[in-house]
Amino acid sequence: MTKWIRWWGLGAFVVFAVTLGCVWIFFVDGWVKGLIEGAGTEAVGAKVELDAADLSLFPAGLLLTRLQVTNPKTPMTNAVEIAKVTMGLDGLNLLRRKVIVEEMALEGVRLGTPRAISGVVKPVKETTTGEKGMFGISLPSLEVPDVKNILEKEDLETIRLIETLKTDMQREKETWESRLKELPGKSQVAQYKERIKNLKKAGKGGLEGVLGGVGEVQSLKQDIEQEIESLKGAKKEFEDKVVLLRTRFEQIKTAPQRDIQHLKAKYNLSPQGLANMSQTLLGSEIGSWVREGAVWYERAKPFLEGAQASGGGEAGPQVYKPLRGKGVDVHFKEAHPLPDFLIRLTKVSVSLDFGDVAGTIHNVTNDQPTLGQPTTFAFSGEQLKGVESVTLKGALNHVVPADAKDQLTVQAKGYELTNLVLSKDDKWPVTLASGMGDMNINADLKGQALTAHGTGNLRSLHISAGKDGDTNPLTKSLSNAVTGVSQLSLQADVQGTLEQHDVTLSSDLDRILQDAAGKMVNELAAKFGTELQTAISAKIAEPMQQLKNSLSGFEGMAGELTERVTQHNDILKSLLEKSLPTKELKGLPGGLKLPF
Amino acid sequence: MIKLLAKLLRVLNSETDPGQISLGLCFAMIVGLTPLLSLHNLLMLLLVFILRVNISAFLLGLALFTGIAYLLDPLFHLLGLAVLTAPSLESFWASLYQSVWWRLEYFNNSIVMGSLVFSVSVFVPVLLLSNLLIRRYRQHVLAWVQKTRIMQMFKASKLYQTYETFSSWRPG
Repeated sequence: MTKWIRWWGLGAFVVFAVTLGCVWIFFVDGWVKGLIEGAGTEAVGAKVELDAADLSLFPAGLLLTRLQVTNPKTPMTNAVEIAKVTMGLDGLNLLRRKVIVEEMALEGVRLGTPRAISGVVKPVKETTTGEKGMFGISLPSLEVPDVKNILEKEDLETIRLIETLKTDMQREKETWESRLKELPGKSQVAQYKERIKNLKKAGKGGLEGVLGGVGEVQSLKQDIEQEIESLKGAKKEFEDKVVLLRTRFEQIKTAPQRDIQHLKAKYNLSPQGLANMSQTLLGSEIGSWVREGAVWYERAKPFLEGAQASGGGEAGPQVYKPLRGKGVDVHFKEAHPLPDFLIRLTKVSVSLDFGDVAGTIHNVTNDQPTLGQPTTFAFSGEQLKGVESVTLKGALNHVVPADAKDQLTVQAKGYELTNLVLSKDDKWPVTLASGMGDMNINADLKGQALTAHGTGNLRSLHISAGKDGDTNPLTKSLSNAVTGVSQLSLQADVQGTLEQHDVTLSSDLDRILQDAAGKMVNELAAKFGTELQTAISAKIAEPMQQLKNSLSGFEGMAGELTERVTQHNDILKSLLEKSLPTKELKGLPGGLKLPF
Repeated sequence: MIKLLAKLLRVLNSETDPGQISLGLCFAMIVGLTPLLSLHNLLMLLLVFILRVNISAFLLGLALFTGIAYLLDPLFHLLGLAVLTAPSLESFWASLYQSVWWRLEYFNNSIVMGSLVFSVSVFVPVLLLSNLLIRRYRQHVLAWVQKTRIMQMFKASKLYQTYETFSSWRPG
């Protein structure tokens, strides 16, 4: 036995293992640091940096010093900077390749801190959506435009309809003139008279003449009847065409009203622009908040939905992640399943410009289905600079990934508003100089459907509006109305998806502005409408008369067609009643009857 | 490197028991074919140290089989996946899955399982075969190799001089 054992080898192995352990302990901190920086950078899309990581084994824990997360949109700024992160690790689960943190404390959390070097990883695509709408205000005009100029340069629907009808009428006229030439007329009637005359002569030639004439009468009758049918069909078609042309003519009479409405809207002579001024002033601002929130949510979403790719399921082993040269991991059902990553409790204290906000986050994990609990968070701060109190609560529930429900509730009381630019419009700049506000916001995201409702009560408002020396009576009136506003209530609704959503906003401001300037705009619009009506009527009087005359010309053609039908009917009647040799036929043997 | 090669030549041409060389090669096969940072490789290393196996043969075999492992990874993946997903073994693997030590072993990875099953399966045949080949080599080839021109030239080389020096320190 001893022939096969070398005892010094055991000592050598111990030395080797201890050396290996020392090397691991020496390098593990750097490895953890690199791992956090790499994974964080990939998740955020901008540099995540760490000054130091210190992993302790007994008890298992990790201390991170100065964690910086770059804001991907502004790479010279950190979205978050955390002075110290301490966490206690579950050592046993760590051996199972599961990072389970019972409690984590984040100290010295600050937002928007400057960076010494850029944290850009990939070029940032600038999005300017909403900027234009934010500052472009469409106010009703108070200058009545020159009606003559408008009629010269505008493409009026009335004129277009007249021209089209005129062209169509001319074409129909030419078409029917041509068809009248082709249709049976006086010459055909004369020919029939001649044929009837010849028949009468043949009837006097005895029985042979009578029998020969029977076939000729039959043929003649069919010819006349066919032409009558042809004339009747043409007459019907013609009458339909004329009815259509007459209808179009009548429709043109209402077109000027449509032109007037269109021109009023185009030249901003409609009071509708005032009806939703709060949407114009604040809607885009709220929309940009929603977009900003959506960007951060989309960034966190893959982490929340990581659950779908891990964990042993109920229906046997699950295989995932085929990696070249790395193989695949087959997962089996665990007796006490836990996510691969879980922070049960995170205590956060955030230092913001207006003071400290503290809160807790429960169950941060990439595998909520395995844990069976959603991620919840609650933050609050009181007696802050510029706001009396603020609370923020929410839940990210992806326990059932197909039925994800995320909720957020924000309440702010006594929020101080200062120098908030509501409009940079040259014609009518508006600034909220100061004020106080209470706000409640509830947002829900179920699957892709986003629903948010917010209410705000603004008080002690001081609003400055308009420019010095403004001569526009409308903007002056609006400015007077707005500057007199001391309190407002706002309701905001956001509906749609994170990518595509509509923001609707209403407030007392709409009514105030309507009261202030609505009557003025309405009077002006009425005056503009009357002038337009007169001018358009004058412009279309002659073309309308021409159309009327053209329609009268069609009546002549209708008369011609009616006359031709009458003539053909008369000749047929004459053939049947007067021109037949009935006396001779009475003596036919066997009581033979003619087939007509 | 020259010293290592010299030692290996000395091992192959020495009186060292063929079984010890073969066992070193077979341990190297397990460590080399399976992912290096696996728990069972620590056990292999312990065995290499405490058993009188030839360490030079182990190191040379390790280099050889590590290279081969890259070529055989697709085969190991298929084999491991088949073993891990075999319905008859599911409850067995599930019971191992609950153990911290088996999870540390990373047995549920297809390449770890495939390469381990493969190397353990061929352990005895390779041991016997390499044992036989070493014996045959010494009986029939060694004398002929010694006489070839290449070997004569090799004996005049620096490598061989080192080998000779090394041999004289500790006769096998």
